[in-house]
Amino acid sequence: MATKMQNVRHRGSRPSTSRVDANGAGPSRLSTARPGQKRAADVSAELSDDELQLNGHVLDSDDGEDDDEEELDEASDDEDPFPELDSASEDGDDDDDGSDEAEDEVDGSDESDLEAFDDEESGDESGYNSSDIEAMYSSSTSVSSRASSSKKRIISSQQKVDDEKLAARTDLTTDEKLERMIEAGTRKPDESIGTDAKISWAKEGKGVLKPSKLVPGGYRREYDDIEAGYGSESSTEDNPNTVGNIPMEWYDDLPHIGYDVSGRKIFRPARGDELDKFLSNAEDPAAWTSVEDKSLQRNVQLTDKELDIIRRLERAENPDADFNPYQDTIEWFTGKGQEMKMPLSGAPEPKRRFVPSKWEHQKVMKIVKAIREGRIVPNKPSATKPSVYAIWSDSDIHTPHAMYMPAPQLPPPKTAESYNPPEEYLPTEQEKAEFEATDKEDRKQDFLPQKYDSLRHVPAYKDLVQERFERALDLYLAPRTRRVKLNIDPESLIPKLPSPRELRPFPTTSCVQYRHPGDTRVRGISVNPGGEWVASGSEDGIVRVWDLGNGREVWKWNLKAGAIQHVEWSPNKEQLLLAALVQGKILVVSPLALASPTVCTSTLDHVNSAFASSSATTKSGGLEAIKWVRPSEDERERGVLVIIEVPGTPKHIAWHRRGDYLATVATEAADKSVLIHQLSKHATQSPFRKTSGAVQRVAFHPSKPHFFAATQRHVKLYDLAAQKLLKTLQTGLNWISSIDIHPGGDNVIVGSYDKKLGWFDLDLSNKPFKTLRYHSRALRSVAFHPTLPLFASSSDDGTIHVFHATIYTDLMQNPLIVPLKILRGHKIVEGLGVLDVRWHPEKPWLVSSGADGEVRLWCS
Amino acid sequence: MAKIQKRGEKGAAKNYITRNQALKKLQISLSDFRRLCILKGIYPREPLHKKRANKGSSAPASFYYAKDVQYLLHEPLLVRFREHKAFAKKLARALGRGEWALAKNLEDAKPVARLDHLVKERYPTFTLALQDLQDPLNLVHLFSTLPTNPIPGKTLVPPEVISECGKLISEWKLWAIKTQSLKYVFLGVKGIYYEVDAPGQGGDPVRVRWLEGYEFQQHVPHDVDFRILLTFLDLYRTLISFVLYKLYTEENLVYPPPLDTELDAKGESVGALRLVEKKEDAPAEASSKVSKKEVKRAIKGIKSTEGTADDVDMDETAQEGKDDEEEQFVERPSKEDNEDVAQAPLTTFSSILASAEPSSSKTLLFSPFTFYLSREISARTWEFVIRATGGKVITALQAPTLDSPLAEGVTHVVIDRPMTVEQMRETERGRKVTWVQPQWVADCINRSKILSAEDYAPGKLLPPHLSPWDGEGELARPWLEEHGDAVAVDSVGAEDEDEDEDEDEEEEVADESEAEDEGKTPRYPPALLAAATNPSDSTLRHAAELEAERNGTSHAAFETQLKEATKVHSKSGKATKAVSAGKGEEDLRKIMMSNKKAKLYEKMQYSNRQQAEEVSRNQTRSLSDVMADTSI
Repeated sequence: MATKMQNVRHRGSRPSTSRVDANGAGPSRLSTARPGQKRAADVSAELSDDELQLNGHVLDSDDGEDDDEEELDEASDDEDPFPELDSASEDGDDDDDGSDEAEDEVDGSDESDLEAFDDEESGDESGYNSSDIEAMYSSSTSVSSRASSSKKRIISSQQKVDDEKLAARTDLTTDEKLERMIEAGTRKPDESIGTDAKISWAKEGKGVLKPSKLVPGGYRREYDDIEAGYGSESSTEDNPNTVGNIPMEWYDDLPHIGYDVSGRKIFRPARGDELDKFLSNAEDPAAWTSVEDKSLQRNVQLTDKELDIIRRLERAENPDADFNPYQDTIEWFTGKGQEMKMPLSGAPEPKRRFVPSKWEHQKVMKIVKAIREGRIVPNKPSATKPSVYAIWSDSDIHTPHAMYMPAPQLPPPKTAESYNPPEEYLPTEQEKAEFEATDKEDRKQDFLPQKYDSLRHVPAYKDLVQERFERALDLYLAPRTRRVKLNIDPESLIPKLPSPRELRPFPTTSCVQYRHPGDTRVRGISVNPGGEWVASGSEDGIVRVWDLGNGREVWKWNLKAGAIQHVEWSPNKEQLLLAALVQGKILVVSPLALASPTVCTSTLDHVNSAFASSSATTKSGGLEAIKWVRPSEDERERGVLVIIEVPGTPKHIAWHRRGDYLATVATEAADKSVLIHQLSKHATQSPFRKTSGAVQRVAFHPSKPHFFAATQRHVKLYDLAAQKLLKTLQTGLNWISSIDIHPGGDNVIVGSYDKKLGWFDLDLSNKPFKTLRYHSRALRSVAFHPTLPLFASSSDDGTIHVFHATIYTDLMQNPLIVPLKILRGHKIVEGLGVLDVRWHPEKPWLVSSGADGEVRLWCS
Repeated sequence: MAKIQKRGEKGAAKNYITRNQALKKLQISLSDFRRLCILKGIYPREPLHKKRANKGSSAPASFYYAKDVQYLLHEPLLVRFREHKAFAKKLARALGRGEWALAKNLEDAKPVARLDHLVKERYPTFTLALQDLQDPLNLVHLFSTLPTNPIPGKTLVPPEVISECGKLISEWKLWAIKTQSLKYVFLGVKGIYYEVDAPGQGGDPVRVRWLEGYEFQQHVPHDVDFRILLTFLDLYRTLISFVLYKLYTEENLVYPPPLDTELDAKGESVGALRLVEKKEDAPAEASSKVSKKEVKRAIKGIKSTEGTADDVDMDETAQEGKDDEEEQFVERPSKEDNEDVAQAPLTTFSSILASAEPSSSKTLLFSPFTFYLSREISARTWEFVIRATGGKVITALQAPTLDSPLAEGVTHVVIDRPMTVEQMRETERGRKVTWVQPQWVADCINRSKILSAEDYAPGKLLPPHLSPWDGEGELARPWLEEHGDAVAVDSVGAEDEDEDEDEDEEEEVADESEAEDEGKTPRYPPALLAAATNPSDSTLRHAAELEAERNGTSHAAFETQLKEATKVHSKSGKATKAVSAGKGEEDLRKIMMSNKKAKLYEKMQYSNRQQAEEVSRNQTRSLSDVMADTSI
């Protein structure tokens, strides 16, 4: 409103600068005074501001805007907090027609009146009233009173204006007021206000002309120093140095530190050295409250006020000491007494609000007519579907979806649920206690069978509601899944294998027993390649040779060197050689008396030829620790032919098929655990410089120059000729106990202490073709039959399993493995069962040795 | 090159959706989702690979089939739920403001969710509906027995629901009586199980079994959520009413049958309903759909028949006045009659029986008998059971004593309290009446023959009551079969011999053939058998001797018998040994089984062993029982 009022005024007085009115639109805008503005513009603006303040009760110190900044003003218009008035003010701006203007004037006066005299009753809406006149009068008086002092800054306060108004109201009569108003309305405005008439004061001869230093012979006018008044930036005005905000180091090398407003050099003030500074700091009690003014290069003492500001900033408070953060809100437009000052619209109530609608009447009449005629029945129950009807017919079809899973039906009650079940269904006391003890979820059935004498004694079942509820929960909360119920005969899972009867012959019964005195454990046995003799090595240190057929002991060597670890006949039929292992020694013995003369001579030749070639009885076969010792005469008489002294305790021998080489394993002998001895040359080699993992067993390939070494978990196959690793079998077993190679050479069985037997097909894979687990204790020994398709395994559970194993020449066909027989008979002594099994070279006979000191021959 | 498969776009990840995802998708609350699941029959699934279904997360979640949830999006019920929510808000506001008129208007226009479409959707054929009728009947019966004036806040079941449930069960039983389709009754500790034969789609019979608890106040546990049960009940009531409609219309009866309020108030359950025959076969019955025209016609029909209803009732009462026997079911005009009963004569149970007998080819078990139910007998149960098998019933409610003229022609008295022979004679007054305990009725129905009433006389220790559904039945319990035969030796009493002669002859023939079969292997008394199984046990032998003494066999004969029995047993023992030897062979072959198959085999063997153990346990116990009997 204030804007409009002022608007009109300006239009009347200064049509050329009508847009200044925009200044009034920003009562909330803060002062944006700028340095270096034109004084004239300033003055004119201030004048208009004055009017504004008088009329609109608005404090505005906006003196920075002038005509050149119309765009800015427009922009600020947008921020007008009273948009409903905006259009009106713009109307005024446009200056298009008179009627519009008049209306504006009327509105504006109304509103200004309302605002200016809030304590006075509001007058009639149309035309001028007395208060309006008063307002005009007061403004005109203030304008006239201050018109003379055009150059002085006008500071008016609300209080002051109010006082004046009161004074005016009391002093003047209505006529006088009217006169004054007319006078003010008809007075010619001061043309000079707001124009650029006084851009330069040079013409007025102010200032003193002085000869210029820059231009020779020229003059320049020097003015008196202007005292900067209120509104200008005092901080910048105070500073005599005009260089501005630049790094002062630029003047470090110069004698001066800048220029004053007249362009004179300001010289660097004298400053003492650091010592002086320190002394002054120490002496001057006010030194700590002074700061260095960089631009003037001197210390400035801070005033109390400034110190207070710093203190407040430190405490994160408002630097202004007078600032009240909790000041009362000023109810400018709302609150008591202010209610009707800003109606949304001044438009009178339209007629249609009071006159009944014709069209509504017509519509109502239509309905009334329909009701009268009975076309519409009020509160009629709607015709609903019958509650039941036929929804099924015989032509219904149901094609269940793949995901259709109907809820399983409750099973029918069993006899146990009867109120009078047969006696055998009644639970015993123990079963009752068990039922009570188990959780509800774990019970097999949800009730205890009970017997009642007659029906009238049967009580209510207390869980009936609970059961129905749980069923309901099951129906909608329990996940359903399709579970394939295996409706197969369990017997069909057992593989179809030929009957053992068809695979005869195989050993079934124990025929001969070779008893060892004292029931010492028999660790190793061997059947000679001719199949006549069985050699056994027992823990009492005696190697015995038995007649296979009748179980008679025919020969024995008491080696007196601790337990016999292993015995093994040489596979060469031409010779009768037996190797026996004791701690630290390998003895090659031969029961010469049992052999034919030709065999005897060839045996002796084979073993002793090297003694002849070598000078001494001892010979180190390439390795220092190993000695080939010629036994004493006595021993030679008994048939001990050679003694090989080796490190550690050899546990296992493997003969090469020709009977010249034999390999031994002594696990604890580190890098000499595997040794290959050559009888004909009395030479020993250690094939592996270093073994990865402890070697448990070794074996020669039956036909190729290959060598198997079984560590705890792997079986490694080496090519001795090429001296390289061919294959590593990943057995999947934890601790290999025994290994045997099929006479064909392509299949290997491995027994382990973890109760498993692995069958490997070397052509097929490095992984086991089959892993069988049928022994309940650790496997001790496995053996293939040299000629027949049989193999056997012995275990600590005291059993020997005999298998049939046909290996087909067709590579595509898997070997056929058929379990044939479990041989029981050995007793388990101290957790050890059957320690070794060997096959007869031709017949389907099996020789086994046990921890119970028995060697048995199993025949078909 | 083939298109690169992205993760989570195919397979389990796509097929399954977790419950929270479903809630988000449907934009409904959990409780609404639960209700929807119950009504629509949507249930969680167990995916094969949970991790895959859960997009790699192994967090526990319940999975739904994604398409189930997808279908839910278009469910009209969902709209009803929303409408109801809005309605509830409006009503609450109106009530809060005290705008009673508005509240009343709102209440009148309350949105009602109908479940008709769900019934057809969930049970596309009538057979499917019948097959799934067990749970509905169980629950509806349970609710019909809940207290009608509940303690506030304990059960939130409105009394109307309870009475409606009672009505549905009565209607169902009424149908069973009319068609006489009751097959089995089993008295269990939980309640009484019934099984009826209902004609499914195309007339193929479907067995429907349901359980009714004994008539006592139901114990209502605290942790039962009645909101869930009531949601189920909503659906079940709708389902049962549609099933009943179908069953009734197939019998050419009007559904719902009009209810006699007075009789209902007196405590008659089934008796309070009347069966009304339809005057003509409405062609609409054949087609499953109901056209708008038919609906209109039905509404018109209601209007038009209102005037004539009174006349009809008058006629009926006149008719019934003649018949003394039908007095127990006197039909009284009820104000609720609103069905198209135009010219149809009302039928009572007796007339139903009369009409049903000639039409059904089978002769009914109890049709020649009239039963008097003593007052401690639950009339609700036994009236239904006897009627549904053709018998006539006179309850203590109708005739207070046996002497009263109403109790004329009673052949059996069902009584459940001890009575001396003198008392019985006194009450008989020279008439020939058979006294039985209620179990006799159930056993007769289950065996579908009239058993000897001797063992079931009042106060006697009853023979065991066996389940008619127990497994492969008698095969699994040979020791029970022996007992049963012993009981059924003289199966029919003298008084009903004339009527059941043919039946009896057949039975006898069957018995003889059985005996012949058994004759091939000599049969020994049980104690002897037990002794034979374990010849070294002296106590068993002693029991067998006692038994022999009782049976009157001489000692020598006993000895020979025992020897034979032991021989037979040892033979069979040898046979088992041979089998076990064969087993040894099998053991060897099992070595060659793969690990997976071996485990499966072990599992199967385990379950087989469990079953065998159960059987042997019962067998040994029954043997020991027999021994205990003999030793006494």
